[in-house]
Amino acid sequence: MSFDTVIIGGGLSALTCGITLARAGQRVAVVAGGQNTLPLFGGSMELLGADAAGNAVEHPLEAIAALDNHHPYRKIGAERVAKLAGKAKDLLDDASIITLGEATRNHYRITPLGMTKPAWLTLERMATTDRPDRLPWTQVVLINLSGFIDYPVDFVAHGLRQLGCEVAVADVTLDALRKAWRSATQMRATTLAKVLANSQALKQLAQAINAAVPGDAQMVLMPAVAGIENDDVCDNLMAQVQKPLRFLATMPPAVPGVRLNSALKHYFQMLGGHYFLGDAVCSATLERNRVTGVRAAKQPASWVANHFVMATGSFMSHGLEADQNRIFEPLLGLDVNAPAGCDLWGRDGMMGNQPYMSAGVCADNTFHPLKDGNPLHNVYAIGQLLAGHNPMVMGDGTGVAMLTALAVAEDILS
Amino acid sequence: MDDNNKQYDVIVIGGGITGAGVARDCARRGLSVLLLERLDYTNGASGRNHGLMHSGARYAVTDRESAAECISENMILRRIARHCVEETDGLFITLPEDDLAYQQTFAEACRAAGIRADIIDPAQARALEPAVNPDLIGAVRVPDAAIDPFRLTMANVVDAQLHGADALTYHEVTALIVNQNRVEGVRARDLRTGAEREFRATVTINAAGIWGMLIARMAGVTINMFPAKGAMLIFGHRVNKMVINRCRKPANADILVPDATVSIVGTTSDRVPIDTVDDMRVTGDEVRVLLAGAQRIAPVLASTRILRAYAGVRPLVAADNDPAGRSISRGIVCLDHEQRDGMAGLITITGGKMMTYRLMAQIATDLACRKLGNTTPCDTASVPLPGSGQPQQENVRHTVAFNAAKGRHGTWTERISLDTEDDRAMVCECEGVSVGELRYALENLNVHTLTDLRRSTRLGMGVCQGRLCACRAATLLGRINNNILRAQADLARLLDERWKGMKPIAWGATLREAQLTATIYQGLCGLDKAIARKEDEQ
Repeated sequence: MSFDTVIIGGGLSALTCGITLARAGQRVAVVAGGQNTLPLFGGSMELLGADAAGNAVEHPLEAIAALDNHHPYRKIGAERVAKLAGKAKDLLDDASIITLGEATRNHYRITPLGMTKPAWLTLERMATTDRPDRLPWTQVVLINLSGFIDYPVDFVAHGLRQLGCEVAVADVTLDALRKAWRSATQMRATTLAKVLANSQALKQLAQAINAAVPGDAQMVLMPAVAGIENDDVCDNLMAQVQKPLRFLATMPPAVPGVRLNSALKHYFQMLGGHYFLGDAVCSATLERNRVTGVRAAKQPASWVANHFVMATGSFMSHGLEADQNRIFEPLLGLDVNAPAGCDLWGRDGMMGNQPYMSAGVCADNTFHPLKDGNPLHNVYAIGQLLAGHNPMVMGDGTGVAMLTALAVAEDILS
Repeated sequence: MDDNNKQYDVIVIGGGITGAGVARDCARRGLSVLLLERLDYTNGASGRNHGLMHSGARYAVTDRESAAECISENMILRRIARHCVEETDGLFITLPEDDLAYQQTFAEACRAAGIRADIIDPAQARALEPAVNPDLIGAVRVPDAAIDPFRLTMANVVDAQLHGADALTYHEVTALIVNQNRVEGVRARDLRTGAEREFRATVTINAAGIWGMLIARMAGVTINMFPAKGAMLIFGHRVNKMVINRCRKPANADILVPDATVSIVGTTSDRVPIDTVDDMRVTGDEVRVLLAGAQRIAPVLASTRILRAYAGVRPLVAADNDPAGRSISRGIVCLDHEQRDGMAGLITITGGKMMTYRLMAQIATDLACRKLGNTTPCDTASVPLPGSGQPQQENVRHTVAFNAAKGRHGTWTERISLDTEDDRAMVCECEGVSVGELRYALENLNVHTLTDLRRSTRLGMGVCQGRLCACRAATLLGRINNNILRAQADLARLLDERWKGMKPIAWGATLREAQLTATIYQGLCGLDKAIARKEDEQ
């Protein structure tokens, strides 16, 4: 088979790139090896939450100039980042993922532990606030679905109280949800969302919420366990609940992430994109700093393409691998910027600034990855595979994923 | 216990297996006992070994007395601690680089010590244990087994408490109360509140493992101890059915023990300074030694994920006439400080091995009883531990939650409430730990932190090393203790503790898991910020 572009990887970055190229009329393949990291998505894209030292950033676009010049945003350039950020929001709109937020100024999402974190674009219907230390409400009712243990309701309530809000917790028990208990997988957010796809169950939930919420409540917040296939379920619930209702992120697997993934995938396929799930590119042919073909494990023959995009992610997506002595890129053997030796890439304390988190593939300013010091001319590297940033410290993971994908797509199309 | 002036017969210092065993023995003989543990039970060497229930074969050639003690205790533990033991048997294998002549010496020494030792054909060994290095040229089958040290210690504590013992964890002994060459009790600090209290007893038994040398020092008594660090690696799944040892003189990385769902290779032996024993870290060199040894025993381990690396400290004791510690025995050391040092009311029980904890407890308790004029005989060799008794009723509850817990709490699982769907909800899917079991542990097993919960239930010990279960358990802990901030701080501590064991082997799947866990707690949840805020608030 031959394509204009083959994208290796199937996460946010791969789909963003694939959609842009397919929309321009390219014949595109996305090879999604396995599960991507979108089930960890808390409902918000992040552009830049902090600088490399961890100091909070309020205006992301203004902060780009001060970043290290290895950071992917510096390679794109601050001005172009602003433009691409607008395009990213439009692309999500077109995929029927409606978001709120600006690249010029961060707003704040509420985490599953009740903390606030800087955000760029948040799915509408999710609860947000415009300041890290304050909520837009003075009193909220927090819905707790009895027995759903992937939503630490006491932590959330405590967190919201710290932000000066009066919080009441209302326990809601529902027969339809209790059925989810009997399955071996138990009560996961995604299991509940499947139950709530049934309009009868949803109606019961709305009634239970209405019964549990006192008349003077200003805002009702509940875990994001509805709307795994489309937003109608959420809208339905919001229409049936008598008070204003917003959703809060849960522990993974997160319903908004699963929903985002399926919306992007669906849009990509609708545009004529070829999506190969559960297959993995296992080898590539290299000739004079160009990739001439790749071989996917389940395909009978190699694929040829004009361009190849590496969107294979970091360690947890198998884009990077480590053995006892080194960190490497397993498919093409690309140059990697990483500390040498296992002793150096981890520090005490699981959270904090871990060197392995900034490990990644070296690339030139147009995201052609380097191999033995030379750029591969028809290959690009995007997303978490790239070196030069630490998404845990800087809060820039989804932003880098989408904007490098858009920058590379434009480059391919020009 | 609220009565500050309560006079005990015996205070036992140290909540490892030895201290727990001493407390049980004393309590069963009718003595009033207080068990004091600085942190949580099994925090020292008792919780940091490879879970091998020695047949004694390992010591047969070099130390026949220890070997004979081992096999005798081995047979006792099979009776009294059934729910802690898996009867795997063990192989001592000879590889091409080893001297096959040693096998005969070894088998004869075993038999002389009363240990069954059957020389078997290499082909038969391969059939019995498919994971064994197929290049082996000889094998001896011995009655080694696997034992769960956490469960064993808890069962001893529970039985002591059933017989009236008081037990306090997170109580650090800060001083011995000495009056005219007699130890009359201890001063201890409650590490959770900072409060200092005094406890008085006629006899104080020092069973604090390597920390025992510091306890003795508080009475001005010197015990010549040498902290010996032993490092181990846990592999992500169980590859071997039987214990596999190398049939040669004991050396580094020559034992592979199957423990429940994992395999553990051990160990190394290096003397370390006493001031480092509270924070043992496994080095890159130790990892390399252990990996190389493991692969010689079972080649599949070259490509098996390593779950974590950890290290314990053996309390080795030198004879009083051997201050440099040149010829150290692994035998039991019971010191009557009244006779040895003129310091009445103080006994130290140390040396030995986990295997012989019961015998150590018996020896120390016999001595205490002589001092107290108690003549009740020891019955710990014949009475089963709680959880190893006969089931009260035919078990009809075949839920996952019940069956998983049964492996941990034996017949006492009946006491766990698993009646509702809420109780049966799985908190830790890797190890099958339910809400009901956690609640049972929190309410009955002296559990204060998530790390304590891990020891008493195996929460977070599986392949994901506490990814989602940590948060679920923290929620439950916060609710039961009504303290959210502490539960969150505890959650972060558990993650850091898990990472400590992953960092020395952070490559392959282990690094992937670590990144996933960090992405959830730091990236998605902002737990790091929650902890920083907690520090601000205080």
